[in-house]
Amino acid sequence: MKAKAVYAAIAALALTTGIAQGADKSAALDLIRRECSTCHGARGVSVSPMFPNLAGQQPGYLEAQLKAFRDRSRADPHAQAFMWGMAAQLTDSVISDIAAFFASQPPAPGTAAEAAEIAAGRKIFEEGIATQHVPACQSCHGLKAVGAGPFPRLAGQHRSYLERQLEAFAANLRANEIMHENSKNLTALQISQVAAFLSSQ
Amino acid sequence: MESVPLRGSVLLRSLGRSLGVLIAVAVGTTLAPSDGEAVPGFARQTGLSCQACHTIFPELTPFGRQFKLNAYVFTNIKQVQAISEQSQRTLALTEFPPFSVQLQASNTTLGKSLPDTGAVADLSQKNETEFPQAISLFYTGKISDNLGAFLQLTWNPSPNAVGIDNSDLRFADHGGFDWLGMTDFIYGITLNNNPTSQDVWNSTPAWGYPFLGSNVAVPPVAKVLLDGQLAQESVGLGGYLYLFNHLYAEVSGYRSAQTTFTNGTTGGPGPLDSAAPLRRISNEAAPYWRVAWEQDWGNHALSFGTYGIWAATHPTGIGESGPRDTITDVALDTQYQYIGDDHLFSLAGTWIHEDRKFNNLAEVVHTHNLLDTGRITGSYFYKRKIGGSVQYFSTTGSQDPILYLAGTPVLGSRTGTPDNKGVVLELDFLPWLNTKLGVQYTLYTEFAGNSHNYDGFGRHASDNNTLFVFVWTAF
Repeated sequence: MKAKAVYAAIAALALTTGIAQGADKSAALDLIRRECSTCHGARGVSVSPMFPNLAGQQPGYLEAQLKAFRDRSRADPHAQAFMWGMAAQLTDSVISDIAAFFASQPPAPGTAAEAAEIAAGRKIFEEGIATQHVPACQSCHGLKAVGAGPFPRLAGQHRSYLERQLEAFAANLRANEIMHENSKNLTALQISQVAAFLSSQ
Repeated sequence: MESVPLRGSVLLRSLGRSLGVLIAVAVGTTLAPSDGEAVPGFARQTGLSCQACHTIFPELTPFGRQFKLNAYVFTNIKQVQAISEQSQRTLALTEFPPFSVQLQASNTTLGKSLPDTGAVADLSQKNETEFPQAISLFYTGKISDNLGAFLQLTWNPSPNAVGIDNSDLRFADHGGFDWLGMTDFIYGITLNNNPTSQDVWNSTPAWGYPFLGSNVAVPPVAKVLLDGQLAQESVGLGGYLYLFNHLYAEVSGYRSAQTTFTNGTTGGPGPLDSAAPLRRISNEAAPYWRVAWEQDWGNHALSFGTYGIWAATHPTGIGESGPRDTITDVALDTQYQYIGDDHLFSLAGTWIHEDRKFNNLAEVVHTHNLLDTGRITGSYFYKRKIGGSVQYFSTTGSQDPILYLAGTPVLGSRTGTPDNKGVVLELDFLPWLNTKLGVQYTLYTEFAGNSHNYDGFGRHASDNNTLFVFVWTAF
């Protein structure tokens, strides 16, 4: 192939794709498309369980978390490594638009887990564990674990993400007094069971 | 770190075959730019920790690949801005430039020292310490909204000069064909100086394992063109598309650098210098292609693809109107990554087939010959702290006594065969994410076609086994 042909092909490629570009989109949608979607998926359903699903999440919770990343008050290891940078320059109005976008997306479907794990996890979620001073999760997160206001949706979340958050609350890596009290007495097995139940919903 | 021995081999012939010169050239030509990078300038610009883009530097995560495909422009630093009256942004500069520094120091121990000639006695040591082995200055990041750069200047101890290392100037944007159901894709243009350095997977040569190697080990003579032979001595302009978040397609054209240009980093003569060899691209632009598919699920990322180049070249001492040799490389590659919180595992492999047609019998005995290079590398790290890699490598090809320097000590093959086979074993400890302490051992089962007395002067393949201890940090 001659050089001219190569350059012509490149020019043609640049032209056609340039035309295909849409008109102005809002700053938030552009950010979601270019940045958020890389880890959390185009519509807030992520591929890797390292990163939480955001689709269908409570907008109040999303806003509070983005602001906590921005002011660095949420400081668990992944928050520091990934989200402190991501949120550093966000304005309140962009945060609000991002939260609204992900909240309006259809949530991820549940993923399968062993029936016995799910049953044990459901019991913790619905009844708590009185002997360990663990209250019922559903009292704040809702009967179907869809959350409300500042309380996040947990249903359909990645199992290993939920496990890691409960461990982070227990170890005070993720500062939250209520969740620290609720999680500090859970055993590793109980954390695994309640995460299995929630991820299956 | 890949060396430039083929150029060296031709130099050998043009300079005569005195052993002193030979060893000087052998050692000199193994000097090559530092290859792998983890660049703190990116961390400064994005506010993200290394692990967002790297498993263990310089290997990229899926997010790191996206960052590179998007032209390194993602930033979280306040911008110095300007807009036109039509509200188009005409300037977007980060307030603080994303500079960083990289330092590499090492100790190399050969299985057996090179023959002592007296003339260059200091080069015949069995053991070499280099502090630094290389030191680099980077500008890495955003230039404007859709334009970014990865620019690297490297100083090497020999030839004691600063030269241009891997460099990539890149434009990228997003487009969409809604009527095709393709709502979002990336398109871009890259201007770079090393074919495969623009690639986002670590299964292709420029960013493939080993990421760092000795400057003073004995280099195999036989190398295919895409295996570092054009590194920093060519310039390529190309366009790429990343479709469906899965499919990457690129076409580029590569030219050689200017006449009588000397690369301060590799120390080699410029590719258009009349003393320069095989490597000189004489078609206006040698076409390079790349197609790859990436599939991610859960903590897993899998890719497979093909790449290659077709280059017409002028052999040693032949002017632009003279006969051309043609070299065609066709390659396959694949990469698998498991990226967890505690455990990270990667497997990367490539196989490059080279078809060479020569027109000048001063260069070769057989005008048509083949060369195949394959490598497969597995690596495991625990909590991004401690781990290691194992690589099996193999190069095989047609016999040719002129091309493979029959009758030349150390570098040459007494049988005129190119084959090299062996393994590279490496253990690494990362006390911090940006600092790697490593011990690497390269073990040859076959060198220049034989395991015993490969050069006909009594040197064995195992004499070239190399123990390489290094510290590598970037800040």
